[in-house]
Amino acid sequence: MADTPQAALDERVKDISPIRKALIRPELGGIIGTVAVFTFFALLAGSSGMFNAQGIMNWTTVSAQFMIIAVGACLLMIAGEFDLSVGSMIGFAGMMVAIFGVTLGFPMWMAILITFAICLACGWLNGYIVVKTGLPSFIVTLATLFILRGFTIFIPQTVERKTIIGGIREAAEGDWLAPLFGAKILGGLFQWFGDIGLIAVFERGNRAGQPVVDGVPMLIVWAIVLIVFGHLLLTRTKFGNWIFAAGGDAQAARYVGVPVNQVKILMFMFTAFCATVFAVCQVMEFGSAGADRGLLKEFEAIIAVVIGGALLTGGYGSVIGAALGALIFGVVQQGLFFANVESSLFRVFLGVILLLAVILNTYIRRIITGER
Amino acid sequence: MKFVKTMVAAVAVAAAPFAAAADGHADLNYVLVSHAPDSDSWWNTIKNGIALAGDQLGVNVEYRNPPTGDLADMARIIEQAAAAQPDGIITTLADFDVLSGPIKAAVDQGIDVIIMNSGTPEQVREVGGLMFVGQPEYDAGLAAGMRAKGDGVESFVCVNHVISNTVVAERCRGFADGLGVDLGDSMIDSGQDPAEIKNRVTAYLTANPETDAILTLGPTSADPTILAVKEMGLDGDIYFGTFDLGTNIVEAIKDGTIQWGIDQQPFLQAYLPVVVLANYDRYGVLPGNNINSGPGFVTKDALGKVEEFAGEYR
Amino acid sequence: MDPIVRMTNIAKHFGSVIALNGVSVDVFPGECHCLLGDNGAGKSTFIKTMSGVHKPTSGEILFEGTPMSFANPRDAIAAGIATVYQDLAMIPLMSVSRNFFMGNEPVKTIAGMRFFDHDYANRVTMDEMRAMGINLRGPDQAVGTLSGGERQTVAIARAVHFGAKVLILDEPTSALGVRQTSNVLATIDKVRKKGIAVVFITHNVRHAMAVGDRFTVLNRGQTLGTALKGDITPEELQDMMAGGQELATLEGSLGGTV
Repeated sequence: MADTPQAALDERVKDISPIRKALIRPELGGIIGTVAVFTFFALLAGSSGMFNAQGIMNWTTVSAQFMIIAVGACLLMIAGEFDLSVGSMIGFAGMMVAIFGVTLGFPMWMAILITFAICLACGWLNGYIVVKTGLPSFIVTLATLFILRGFTIFIPQTVERKTIIGGIREAAEGDWLAPLFGAKILGGLFQWFGDIGLIAVFERGNRAGQPVVDGVPMLIVWAIVLIVFGHLLLTRTKFGNWIFAAGGDAQAARYVGVPVNQVKILMFMFTAFCATVFAVCQVMEFGSAGADRGLLKEFEAIIAVVIGGALLTGGYGSVIGAALGALIFGVVQQGLFFANVESSLFRVFLGVILLLAVILNTYIRRIITGER
Repeated sequence: MKFVKTMVAAVAVAAAPFAAAADGHADLNYVLVSHAPDSDSWWNTIKNGIALAGDQLGVNVEYRNPPTGDLADMARIIEQAAAAQPDGIITTLADFDVLSGPIKAAVDQGIDVIIMNSGTPEQVREVGGLMFVGQPEYDAGLAAGMRAKGDGVESFVCVNHVISNTVVAERCRGFADGLGVDLGDSMIDSGQDPAEIKNRVTAYLTANPETDAILTLGPTSADPTILAVKEMGLDGDIYFGTFDLGTNIVEAIKDGTIQWGIDQQPFLQAYLPVVVLANYDRYGVLPGNNINSGPGFVTKDALGKVEEFAGEYR
Repeated sequence: MDPIVRMTNIAKHFGSVIALNGVSVDVFPGECHCLLGDNGAGKSTFIKTMSGVHKPTSGEILFEGTPMSFANPRDAIAAGIATVYQDLAMIPLMSVSRNFFMGNEPVKTIAGMRFFDHDYANRVTMDEMRAMGINLRGPDQAVGTLSGGERQTVAIARAVHFGAKVLILDEPTSALGVRQTSNVLATIDKVRKKGIAVVFITHNVRHAMAVGDRFTVLNRGQTLGTALKGDITPEELQDMMAGGQELATLEGSLGGTV
């Protein structure tokens, strides 16, 4: 085809400089926001311990939590759907681990696998109902939100007469699967950091001499793995193209043979998977499951995704952007504590960031996609 | 670009409250971490208590809480507080499994920790806290139950607005044991929304007309329950006791709707730890035991000061 | 020459509604077969039957001489019958190359995993678009930045690239301006010259006359016969579409340009 004569350049398509082109991408809003937020807190809370090892681990862990659920919410939102049941799913999944692993005394690995199976089934059901009835996923998953939260309170009350079930850490002792969610890695490296004085060590108690940060929790590893997986899936695979297509215009995608329904159902299941990972990491770390865990997390996930540049109506977005959105969210939430700001102002700050991010993202997106 | 200017201006406006909050460092910095969601008004007394103690002693005390009441978020806040290296942390121990790890880590870093409000003396010892300031919940419930039994109560409903808080549920268990009845289905999960609480109480009392007594666990559940009882015309007729005080509760005690309120004196739970920590840090003095801030029964006869400071310091 | 698609006596009922009632059409390779009809004449039902969306209630479809029954549009696409729908051809938020390969993504295997081959997709997209006379800023340019005519052209180029033997175009020109229409018509001409059968659905007689080789008019679910180019005047076509004479008087006052 090389010998085909060049068609006349369309004079209405403006030339765009390479620098501008490299800058104009879905993640731009997230990148700008991240830089702004870090600058802000470096100035305001730089001396407060926010950027010592322990402080960094604190907001990194909180951000990693948001990232795990944001990756799922991001892919689902790009595929054109919402899942409002994420928060309830977190509470429910944690409770399932506790019920099976502690109350019923199953081996922990079995409790975890059963929990994953149940939650993936819930995700599948969400997707199946949305796809088959054509109802807005907003409504369907809102129903799931209430149903799962109700069970999360009802089941432990019925079997244990209380709403917090503890003893999970003890039950997980020596299990082969539990460390995948609850362990910390690179302990040796951090011990060495502590020994050479790079990070602070405990001054007293039976952990005296150990570094205050004794490893990277699996929660963070999961966050990184899920981000890399989600990013590659979305941008580098055939299936990723189908996700964009399903959310961009489901009918157009169907006409060219994209299995839109399966894509959406799988994304609902992936979102449920992410919520379950979040929950299992949480119960393994804290050792108990509570009926109020995960409250409002669905909105936090959606906020992170939107800060990261995804379009609420689907078909556009970026996993990296969502991860940056989650980072911004986590840093702001914890950073305000470090900066000694009245905690009720957190919401004000979050609202402002959300608004600025959405305005900036809309502007960037219009440049890229020619939306009018 | 106009757009950028707008953004800069907006950030400047958003940043304004921080400038004020960031200065004013005193020589001693304490953090109080609660488990209560933003919507729980009872903790206002706690905020006032630490503010007053901070002013009087010339120390800085911050109040922090998980906005939704999620205890896992609370654990992160304790970790964060420890990372900021304050001189002391005052925290509740609403769930030992979740909070013991972060609290122990803070203690091991050399930060003094006082447990207030929720927790048991044994748990406080285990996490390495200096002391416990609060009301032993089961004992308070038990005392209330025995008092009610003396007044001729045989059955009751416990209106629980924090169903996920096991410590608070101990109050109901203690009350049932004090009465000598089985808790059974007497505890209802009322939720946090006033209208829902009111409707559920009404529904319960309609379905179980033989109920002798109502026990509410705080202003969140008591205020709508007062309305429900009045609407059903049961005020003064049904035996009504509540934990904690608030403006509406005091009014209801005055007009006879509520027989008694159990005051765990939250002001002391906030004020005393600050005093204890400040004196410990300055002069090395420490009381030798836990401090019981409650229970104190507030009845119609002793309402003067309570009424004056209800919701503020009482 | 044998027709590539022969549809005989096709009927399609939706419950009590008779959408098609005995339609017969032959489509030959390398021709542009115009299907004309007013709104509600059954054009959409007919092309959906041809492209495998609907199964006919009765009648026979021969594709390359053998009876065909498509279970779904994917089967039809695999057999070589591609359809370009008017508004649903492209996803505006996605890049041209992602759109081009939507549903037919090229994959390359790296370390045992199958990845979308972006290099190949970008290269092919640029080449194919250049061949159709559209110069893209880049393969990652979003379709939303293209004009309506360009979008139709991308969709047509996509169908041709993936081996369409029969290309069904559902009113490709109805929402376009003059210049974009002529671009799309030029594209149709290029496709026809490659030996592909084009089924061009329109209600605009002048657009049909510009590129059509043969003309079939649908009215109230029935065919009113097929005419070759040169055997029929635009006015006659217009009359047949209207199903009678009622337009004739109007037309005089409008100068015959409806």
